[in-house]
Amino acid sequence: MNRPFPRMAPRRRAVWLFAALGPGVIAANAGNDAGGIATYASAGSQFVYRMLFLMVLVTVALVVVQEMSARLGAYTGEGLVSLIREQFSLRTATVAVVCLVVANLGLVVSEFAGIGAAFEIFGVSRYIAVPLAAVGIWAVVVLGSYRYAERVFLLLSVAFLAYPISLFLGHPDWGQVATNTLWPHFLASHDFIVLAVALVGTTITPYMQLYQAAAVVDRGIGPDDYPRERLDSVGGAIFANLISMCIIIATAAAIGGTGALTSADQAARALEPVAGASAAMLFAVGLLGASALAAAVVPLSTAYALAEAVGAERSVSRHFREAKLFLGLFTGQVVLGAAVALIPGNLINLLLNTQILNGLITPVILVFILILANRRTVLGDAVNSPRFRAVATISVIGVSVLATVVVAQTVGGWLGMA
Amino acid sequence: MARRPPFPSPAALRSRRDRRTERLLANRAVLDALTSVAGLVGRPVRITGGAEVGRLVDLVARWDGEPYPPITGLMVKVGRRLAFVPSEQMADLGRTEVTLRSATFSLRDFERRPGEVLLNGDVLDHQLVDVDGVRVVRASDLYLARVADGWRLVGVDVGFPSLLRRLGPRRWRARPTPERVIDWAAIQPFGVDPGPLRLQGENQTLARLRPGELADLLEELGRPERTELLERLGPDSAADALEEMEADELRTLLRDLPRQRAAELIGAMEPDEAADALRDLDPDELDEVLTAMKPTVAMKLRPLLAYPESSAGGLMTTRLLLAHRRDRVRAVRERLPAATDERGDLDGVVVVDDGGRLLDDLRLVDLLLAGDDDVLEELVESSEPVTVHSDAPLDEVVDRLIDSRRTSVIVTDDDHHPIGRILADDVIDALVPARGRHRVHVRFP
Repeated sequence: MNRPFPRMAPRRRAVWLFAALGPGVIAANAGNDAGGIATYASAGSQFVYRMLFLMVLVTVALVVVQEMSARLGAYTGEGLVSLIREQFSLRTATVAVVCLVVANLGLVVSEFAGIGAAFEIFGVSRYIAVPLAAVGIWAVVVLGSYRYAERVFLLLSVAFLAYPISLFLGHPDWGQVATNTLWPHFLASHDFIVLAVALVGTTITPYMQLYQAAAVVDRGIGPDDYPRERLDSVGGAIFANLISMCIIIATAAAIGGTGALTSADQAARALEPVAGASAAMLFAVGLLGASALAAAVVPLSTAYALAEAVGAERSVSRHFREAKLFLGLFTGQVVLGAAVALIPGNLINLLLNTQILNGLITPVILVFILILANRRTVLGDAVNSPRFRAVATISVIGVSVLATVVVAQTVGGWLGMA
Repeated sequence: MARRPPFPSPAALRSRRDRRTERLLANRAVLDALTSVAGLVGRPVRITGGAEVGRLVDLVARWDGEPYPPITGLMVKVGRRLAFVPSEQMADLGRTEVTLRSATFSLRDFERRPGEVLLNGDVLDHQLVDVDGVRVVRASDLYLARVADGWRLVGVDVGFPSLLRRLGPRRWRARPTPERVIDWAAIQPFGVDPGPLRLQGENQTLARLRPGELADLLEELGRPERTELLERLGPDSAADALEEMEADELRTLLRDLPRQRAAELIGAMEPDEAADALRDLDPDELDEVLTAMKPTVAMKLRPLLAYPESSAGGLMTTRLLLAHRRDRVRAVRERLPAATDERGDLDGVVVVDDGGRLLDDLRLVDLLLAGDDDVLEELVESSEPVTVHSDAPLDEVVDRLIDSRRTSVIVTDDDHHPIGRILADDVIDALVPARGRHRVHVRFP
C-alpha cells in the first residue's frame, strides 16, 4: 500500500460501491460491524422488541452527534482531535485522546472476536483463524495492497443486506413492532440497562465522529457545500439505524425470547427466512467481511488520531512505514486485539463487553463535541442554535445517565450491594 | 509560472534548519536563558519584594515583521479580574514567576492592538507553518529569551517530550526540554489581525517555497489559517500555488475568499488551470467571479469554459506565440524576450497563413539554427504539424503525442485556426491526477 489512509476522491472512485455515498453514510454504517451485529442480535434474542424505542432515541442522538461532527469539519477545516487540542487544555485533550484510544482498542478486540466467530461457523478453530487473520491484516495494511483487500471485505459485508429481506420473510408480529417502536417497553433489570448501554456504545462510537469530521475535511467540503453534507450525515445516520433495527426485529422474529445469545450460530438463524440451511454461511461471510474491514481501519484511524494530537499527521499520512511510533501503535493494537480475542470464553460475550466499554466512553467524547459545537469562537454563525443545543444536550445527558447507572451498578456489584 | 531564483532542495533546507537549531542550543547560556511559556502560565506574578498580586494567564506578543516578536505585556488574573500589565512594568520573567517593577502598578483591561496575539491562547497548541522544513507543525511549547531591549519569542518546540512534560507534575513544566526546537525566524504564525498595518508586498520567507510546497501547506491548514497564509503571498506566487492544489480543496478555498480576491488570483493563474478552477464553481459564483475580474482576462477565459474539462479544448492553454509565414526569423526572435513570462508554455512558434490558418508548429531549436534573415515560410516542414481538434478526447491527445514524439500538440478549431496548445505535462496531470505531487494526504479510508 502506498498510502496508509486511502483517499476516497468522489469522482475517481465512483465505481466503488460506497464511494457514491457520502462520508456520513459510511461513518454511520461503521456501527454495523461485528460488535454491532452481536449487540443488535442479542437485543432481539433477549428482549424481543423492547429495545426498539431506545433505538429511536439513539437514532436522534446519532443524527445530532454526526451532524455536529460534520459541521465542525466543514467549518473549521480541521479534524476533531486537532480541534480538541486547540480548544481545551492539553490535559483535558489528553483525557479525550486516551478515551479514543481505549474505545478503538475495544473495537479492534471486537473485530477480531467477530473474525473468530465467523471462522468458527466455517468449522475453523479461532485459535488458528484469529492469529492468521491478524498477520494477514497487518501484512495487507503495512506491506500489501490495502485498497484491493478493502473492496473484497466490503463485498463480503454486503451479505448483511439480507437482514431487511429476512425481516419481511420472517413474519414478525407487526403490531408488537409498532407499539414497541412508538412507546417505551423498558425493563428495570440490570441486564436490560447493561444491554442498553452496549446498544448506545455500538451505535454511537467515537470512531464514527472522528471519521465523519476527518472525511469532510479530507474531501474539501466547506461551508458552501455544507447543506448537501448535512443531508448526507443525517441520512446516513438514519439509514444505518434502520438496518440496525432490521437486525433486531429479524432476530426477535426468529429466536426472540430464548434468552441471551451464546453463539454466532444462533444469531445466524435470523437469516434463515432468506438463506434457509445456508443462513449460517451467509451470516459468517457478512461477519467476516465487516470485521476484517474494521480490524484494518480502526487501528489505522487510532494511529492517525494520535498523530493529530501530537501534531505529526503529515508525516504519518506520507511515511506511515517510516513513522515508527505509529507503525508500532498500529502493530500493537492488532496484536493486542487479536490476543484478547483468543482468551478462552464466549465470543459473543466478549463482543458485548467491548460494546459496553464503548458505551461508557461515548459520553466523554460527546461532551467534547457538544462544547465545541456550542462555541461561537469555533464555528462562528454555524454555532448550535438554542433549539439544537437543547436537543443535543438532552441526548448527551441521556447517554451519560445510562452509562453512569451501569458504572454505579457494576461498582455496587463489586462491593456486594447489588 | 512566475520566475524565482533557484530553490534549495528540501533536504538542504532541513539541514539548514537543523544546523541553526544546533547552533542555538549548543550555547549553554542560550539553553539556560530559555523560558517555557507553557511552564510559566499559571505561575504567580509578584511585586519586587515578594507579595503575590495575581496569576499569569497569558503573554501578549506583537508580530511586527521582525524575526523575533517582542513580548508587549502580560495577562494577569488579579482576584477575579483579568488585567493587562504592559511589558514596561515587568522587572523579570523567571521560569516559575514573574516580577513586576513597582508596588504601584496600574491595571488596564486588555484591548488587542493590531498585530498582537496571545501566546497561550492563540499560538500554543495551534498550527504554525515551518518554512524551512516545509510543513505544518503544532506548537508543543514556546520559548522566550531576554534580549537587549526586552523579552522576545525565539523558538517553538514541536517535540513529543515537551507534551509529556506539560502533562507531568508542576515542577517539570517549567524546565525547557528543547529537543525539536524551530527557530522562530523560520515560522509563519497565524491568528493575527494585521489591522491598518497590513504588511506591504509579499512575505519574503514564504516566497522561498515552491508552488507545490505551498499547495501542500494550504491543503493541510485549517480554513482561517489558509486564508491568512494566502494573504501573505503575492498574486503570482499565490496563483502558482493554487494551480497545484486538488480540485476539491481549491474550490473550497476559493469560496472562502472575498470575490474580488478570488477573481484576482484566478486571473493570475495559467488560463487552462484558471478555466479548470472556474468550471468547478456553481454558475452564479462563476458569474460573480468573472464580473469581478479584469475584463480582458475574463474575455480570455470565457471561451475556454465552453469546452468540457476532459476534451482537448479543456486541457489547452491559450498562450500561443503566433507568427505570419512571411515574418523573418529576426522579427520573431525579437518578440521572444516579451514572452518569457509564459516560457513554461512556450514550446514552439505557431506559423499561420494569410487566413490565420495553421501552417506549422516551429520548434525553438529550428528557430535557433535558422539565419536572421530567413523567412519563416522557408523553415516550414513539408510534414503536417501535430494537431488535434478542440473536441478531441484525452485519448486522442495522448495518441498524437505518442505518435509524434513531440512535447506538445496544437489545438485547432473547425477552420484549422490554431487556438491553443496542450503540453505533455498537462496530459500527465490529466492521466494521473492523484500523483500530481505524489501527495497522500489522507486521514481515513
